[in-house]
Amino acid sequence: MDRDDHDREPQPQPHGDEREFSEERESLWRIAFAPTIWAFHFIISYAAVSVYCFKFGALFDMNTLRFALIAMTALMLAAIAWIGWRAFLRWDVRDTGEFTNPEGSAEDRHQFLGHAGFLLAIVSFIGVVYDTLPLILLGSCR
Amino acid sequence: MTRDTRARRALPPGSSRLLLASPLLLAACEGRQSVLVDGGADARILTDLFVVMLVGAVVLWFGMNGLFYWATRRSPAPHSQRVANWLVVLGGILFPTVTLGALLVYGLTLMPELRATGDGPVIRVTGEQWWWRVEYEREDGSTVTTANEIRLPAGERSTFLLDSKKVIHSFWVPSLGGKMDMFPGRVTEMTLGPEKPGIYRGQCAEFCGESHAWMAFEAEVMEPDAFEAWLDAEAEPAAAPATPEAGRGAALFLTQGCGACHTVRGTPAMGRVGPDLTHVGARHSLAAGRLGTGVEDFARWVANPGAWKPGAEMPAYDHLSDAQIGAIAAYLEGLE
Ligand code: HEC
Ligand SMILES: [Cu+2]
Repeated sequence: MDRDDHDREPQPQPHGDEREFSEERESLWRIAFAPTIWAFHFIISYAAVSVYCFKFGALFDMNTLRFALIAMTALMLAAIAWIGWRAFLRWDVRDTGEFTNPEGSAEDRHQFLGHAGFLLAIVSFIGVVYDTLPLILLGSCR
Repeated sequence: MTRDTRARRALPPGSSRLLLASPLLLAACEGRQSVLVDGGADARILTDLFVVMLVGAVVLWFGMNGLFYWATRRSPAPHSQRVANWLVVLGGILFPTVTLGALLVYGLTLMPELRATGDGPVIRVTGEQWWWRVEYEREDGSTVTTANEIRLPAGERSTFLLDSKKVIHSFWVPSLGGKMDMFPGRVTEMTLGPEKPGIYRGQCAEFCGESHAWMAFEAEVMEPDAFEAWLDAEAEPAAAPATPEAGRGAALFLTQGCGACHTVRGTPAMGRVGPDLTHVGARHSLAAGRLGTGVEDFARWVANPGAWKPGAEMPAYDHLSDAQIGAIAAYLEGLE
């Protein structure tokens, strides 16, 4: 999964269609990782707090739950940052100087998906931070 | 100090011209049902929030249009890629992220106070078609039932347990705080901490059918002693008719079947379909804010409720003579 093609020579059109598409299918999956983490963060945080407040409020202290969720948030943010960094490398803007990759060659598409993945990671990172603010600022079920 | 001057002082110089330019906005600053009138802490917090958002929006509006003007008129030549990139990163990502983050933090820090636990009376309010059933839960476990009017002690935080019979309504006294929806079969809770005695107005804020717009109520904030005295009086059974005419009205009330839907405590009328009328004569309004509480208002209502509130779930009594309606009205008006 972890092949990074950014340091390979740009190749004109040597592959068969199949090979090309299988590579892109992978990148396509990869750009969805960060938003998926964001979605899970949102669902887990809200579900955990509402189930806690509805059922287990008397059982254990809310701070236990808050710190568990904040720890989960830290892990997820680290994962998103890592995904974003890999996508940034794939985009390869520092070497090529190309922001938009409009050509449509295999390499271009590859870099474009890196670009998209990088931007999605930024949005997901911000989303997860926003999701977590209520957890930090509101310490109760009310 | 009126709300009006306060609002204007909270705005930066220059924006007063903007306010003057919109007389509608100014007119809305007065009155018993204005969000800009602060009857208590909750309303004050929400007014501040509104002013912050408004000023921010005005600044942003000018900023964006200024930029637009600059980019199309002042400096229409293409800008370098470098400038464009920074514009996207700073103006498109960093600025909105920080601004929205700051607003989110600000909004969240307001919530604990707005959602604070009540230390005053507990009031159960049920939304009906198109009126409000109001029940005060007293400390001794008893309940005092009334309708279409809410009284609150100043300086205490009252708790509202909100419910609905058929459809979704929304409970809102704009001058006292935020609103809360009322769902059939699910009790929602909100608290309000009014501070300034006075009569405010509430309004159903979720469309609930034909007479939704006529589903309002008076909310009177009283000194705590006066509130206790009022609640004690409200818990008493109804006063006996004081005049012969009112006596005839009381008899008609029972023979015409009003008691099947209405309760007048201390009489055989024990219906629960419509509002409790035990002390209806002491209220500030009739039929959820639709009419006043003069004898003629009672008469108009009883003769034809649907004329005042389309779809009202009370039959018209236009087959009664004027004298009969007058007697019923005299009876009801005397129920203080
Ligand atoms: C079928 C049930 C029903 C009957 C019978 C009925 N009412 Fe009503 N009444 C209602 C309902 C429901 C309302 C609330 C209507 C609204 O505000 O939309 C109401 C409202 C009222 C109000 C205004 C109450 C308030 O809280 O402001 C008065 C006064 C009143 N009725 C008097 C009477 C009298 C007098 C009679 C008999 C002559 C009568 N009603 C018969 C159902 C009934
Ligand atoms: Cu309603």
